Amino acid sequence: MTLNVGTLARRGFLTLVALFLAAPLIVVASVSFNDTRRMSFPPTQFSLRWYQAFFGDGAWMASLERSLTIAALAAAVAVLVALPVTYAIWRYQARAAKALAGIGAALFLIPGVVAALMLSAFWGETGHVGRLENVVLSHAIVLLGIPLSLLSVGFSAIDKTQVEAAHTMGARDSDAFRMVVRPAMTPYILCAFVFVFVLSINEYLIAYMVAGFTVQTLPIKIFANMRQGYEPTMCVAAVIFMALGFSAFILISKIADLARLMGRTRPLDA
Amino acid sequence: MSAIEAPLAPAAPAPIRDRDRWVLTGLLAVPAFYIALMAIVPALLMVQISLAHRDVGGLWSPGFELTQYRQLATPLFARVMGFSLLLAASGAVVCVALAFPAAYFITRMRRRAQVAWLVFLLGSLSLSEVLIVFAFQVLLSTSGSLAGALAAVGLLEAGQSLYPNFPAVLTCLVYLLLPYVILFFYPALSQLDPEVEQAAATLGASRLTTFATVVVPMMRGQILTGVLLVVIFTFGSYLTPLVLGRPPQWTIAIHINNAAMAAGNVPLAAAYAVTVVAFMVALLALTRTLSPRREAAA
Repeated sequence: MTLNVGTLARRGFLTLVALFLAAPLIVVASVSFNDTRRMSFPPTQFSLRWYQAFFGDGAWMASLERSLTIAALAAAVAVLVALPVTYAIWRYQARAAKALAGIGAALFLIPGVVAALMLSAFWGETGHVGRLENVVLSHAIVLLGIPLSLLSVGFSAIDKTQVEAAHTMGARDSDAFRMVVRPAMTPYILCAFVFVFVLSINEYLIAYMVAGFTVQTLPIKIFANMRQGYEPTMCVAAVIFMALGFSAFILISKIADLARLMGRTRPLDA
Repeated sequence: MSAIEAPLAPAAPAPIRDRDRWVLTGLLAVPAFYIALMAIVPALLMVQISLAHRDVGGLWSPGFELTQYRQLATPLFARVMGFSLLLAASGAVVCVALAFPAAYFITRMRRRAQVAWLVFLLGSLSLSEVLIVFAFQVLLSTSGSLAGALAAVGLLEAGQSLYPNFPAVLTCLVYLLLPYVILFFYPALSQLDPEVEQAAATLGASRLTTFATVVVPMMRGQILTGVLLVVIFTFGSYLTPLVLGRPPQWTIAIHINNAAMAAGNVPLAAAYAVTVVAFMVALLALTRTLSPRREAAA
């Protein structure tokens, strides 16, 4: 490939975009490894003292555990709700299922703060307030659009002739499901789970308005920490988040075709 | 028209049998209950609260009055909505101008580079907004390296901070949205037939001309939806304007939150929220009319 002005401009542009996207990640990570208490960039002296502080502090660890629990449960609920809906659309073209998916998509039209207000009013009315499950169920409904769209992409990618062939050869629905549908859907389910998990673990406003006073998730604790005066300890949490997020998506890219998961249907050469 | 198209249309789905009906009921009962309970009930409740009577002490009692909606006819509300719209529009222009070419270039990369970019974009979402805002504070603070560098070349007075102000809020919002908007453009741009661009090249168009006169017009509907995505997110953004902006840069989200939490006036917060959602629905309708109609196959 010859290097002309266009290629140079394209590479320069993409490098700048990548740098912009990486900058906060680098800042947060370097603050966590910096010896001084002052929040500054670039770092001056490498140290692991904030890691010792984080893992030795019961309150930070409790918040981390709470956030991980909420994220895992919210991701499980969202995927388990989206799976039968998208299956019913794919297998039966059921109108009721399409209506449910439509509501899930419409939730994307609602700005975050409005969703937070709606859900906090809802939990207030039920009298069931300040509980962990409130955050789980609230995150799952707000993020439901992600598994709905990812799983419907997955179902539409299944070759229906394979399912029909299985039926012709005498397979029942459950056999066809086990042999064709389940293996084809596994990467999409995994990707939807990780996506919801990552967004739930980082969500601040809904968690705060639904149960923030009693269920202190990691983002809530970090924000409280920011307001009371900084401690680099909070950046340790960020590094944990990044490590989790990046390893999960790298793992998915190893076991599945990430380009296809993200909606590419045109084949891609190596 | 439909009579001509009928033979080409895919066969109608087989009629749903009785046994399937039971299967469907079993499949959809729990999701339907959950979605009704957690999406429809809270939405209706919010509309009800916005019309309810405000009780002193932060609570509300059922009723039907337009008191809260009348409060919306104030210069403050108009100014806040106007500012939110300005921020959203600026964010949308910057975001789409960066994300669209970036997504276009990424879809034309080789597989390995493309997957690496996707992992990077998805992974960058694993940092909480709380921490992103904090990182921008560090980067833009007086002691930060950016302010130092700008001061060194004389673009900024020494000891001056680069926030709180409008550009800081805008930059952080663009940062938060950029990965989503790139990922949103990715499927449509990757579906774009390379032959279309080759045809334009054969006719003598440069790459830039092809991009501007063929690719961008073909994606008009997608671009409008991308803009809408940014607008919705910006109207809901709370932390970024709160930390990186001053009160004049506070979006409607902060005022909703303040009305509900600090002032304890939930009916007013609900009236704000209902108005914002109505505004979003109107924007969606506008986007739909401006978008080219979808092909039957899509």
